[in-house]
Amino acid sequence: MSTILTHIAIADGKIKRSSLEVLSHCKQLADQGGHTVEAVVVDANASSFVEGIQKYGASKVYVVEDPVFKNHMNTPLLKALAKVMESANPSVFAFASTEGTKDILGALAANQNAAVLPDVSSFELIDGGIKAKRPVMAAKIIASTEAKGDTILVSVRSGSYDLAENETSAETVNIDFSMDDNDLKATLKEIISASGDTIDLNEAESIVAAGRGVKDEEGQKLISELAELLNAGIGASRALTEAGVYDPSLQIGQTGKVVSPQLYIAVGISGAIQHVAGMTNSKVIVAINKDPDAPIFEIADYGIVGDLYKVLPPFIDELKKVKS
Amino acid sequence: MKFYVCIKMVPDVYAPLQIKDGQLIQDADRMVLNAYDASAVEEALVLKEKHGGEVEVVCIGASKASETIRKALAMGADKATHIVTSGDENYDSGSYARVLAKFFEDKEYDVLSLGKQSQDTDAGLTGSMLAELLDLPYTTNAVGLEAEDGKLIVKRQGDTGQEMIELPTPCAVTCSNDMNEPRIPNLKGIMASKRKPMEQVEISSLGINEDELKANTRVLGYEEKPEREAGKKYEGEPEEVAREVAQLLDTEANVI
Repeated sequence: MSTILTHIAIADGKIKRSSLEVLSHCKQLADQGGHTVEAVVVDANASSFVEGIQKYGASKVYVVEDPVFKNHMNTPLLKALAKVMESANPSVFAFASTEGTKDILGALAANQNAAVLPDVSSFELIDGGIKAKRPVMAAKIIASTEAKGDTILVSVRSGSYDLAENETSAETVNIDFSMDDNDLKATLKEIISASGDTIDLNEAESIVAAGRGVKDEEGQKLISELAELLNAGIGASRALTEAGVYDPSLQIGQTGKVVSPQLYIAVGISGAIQHVAGMTNSKVIVAINKDPDAPIFEIADYGIVGDLYKVLPPFIDELKKVKS
Repeated sequence: MKFYVCIKMVPDVYAPLQIKDGQLIQDADRMVLNAYDASAVEEALVLKEKHGGEVEVVCIGASKASETIRKALAMGADKATHIVTSGDENYDSGSYARVLAKFFEDKEYDVLSLGKQSQDTDAGLTGSMLAELLDLPYTTNAVGLEAEDGKLIVKRQGDTGQEMIELPTPCAVTCSNDMNEPRIPNLKGIMASKRKPMEQVEISSLGINEDELKANTRVLGYEEKPEREAGKKYEGEPEEVAREVAQLLDTEANVI
């Protein structure tokens, strides 16, 4: 019997859904193999999240609470996770593949002399390690990979697993943590946030994504209106984030965010391979484009050939009717 | 500032790919400089042009990788070290990081920079592994760099916003391709690159034991990603098709 540890990421005072997806999967693996599943939460208000974590079946929750964790910084996070690993001694430590995770995963593996598989779309336990599927080559190819060793780190793409509630009463273990400012190494000077009310794309159930076809403020207004109606996150292709029309954190694609919402509406996006690599795992894809030969139509479940400025107003109007 | 930029030769992922018996067939003619590394080279060159200093590239790879190194030299890097491998080694990110750590052990520099990931495996581990092995302050996914009073100011793309991070030197940074458009080498640069020093180093001469480089992850096989089937295309009066699809999203796809 061994321990599967799951990292619970916090953003904007909430547990990230992608972390709970990973915890749900780990709970299932643990039940199948007779292992224990535990969780760790590192945040300035870490203890307030224990209740939410218990709902997903962790039998023990490690809590590392310190003001230094108000914003993401790799040095203190690494120190905290290394400390928790010493206590928990996990055979597998699973993460949601967020930018925060990507920032520390390699360093933590080197620090702990652990094997590591990043950004997998699924994983299972095997004798002495894990086996995982990883999208590679701009997500055109799936590599079956395995990692072996006493300690394995793995990060999982958001949307890879469904949430499964599994109420338990978890034991809480508070881990002492302190860090001298001089040991921080790097200094976080400032955070330039995307406007406060935007929905985290990795967490969004629906996404409306704008591409080159969205040419002006009128187009952006239509995008916002549609997103608001569907309670959807707004994403953008690289063309529009580079042009400064949308914030760089909203870029979807191989370079930007990799998303897999229930509904993805690509508006004025041609469907270049770099963009498709970031959204092809969406459940339902709708494409609106005036070019009937745009590659986006090859992967769209519903393709509307037409000028987005003429299509979106009746589309929004009809969705309003459907919703009411 | 003295920059070392670690670069890698990778398959062109935008070229057609072929899988045979679970193995990826790599066309030797379609090997390129990793796009993220090209951005790291570009940014180092920009900072050198602004503040002075030196840009040296380091590449681990088989003999063919010298072509990739020449490209970086043609862009404007001053010199290069090629850590030569046989080409049939089974290295993972950890192996590469350990070779680089050994190489940099006795080197002097201000900034080690790398692409944030390699465009073939998209793993993104080597940079932070290297920083940890060398005990360097670091940041990843940089979208902008600036040098100021001997410090490196990094604009990093985080989960919900951009973080401005100040790193003392020496430090390590991994670069996104969103920070710049890497220059295309011109004829003068290409000619000059042929006269620039490229030192070849054998891994064995770094004093590293092959056992230490053993990968603890491996690829068992490759398969094509099952293609998404194209759904239905709706053409006609925008008003009509828009309303039709909106209704289907509710009644057929159940996503509203």
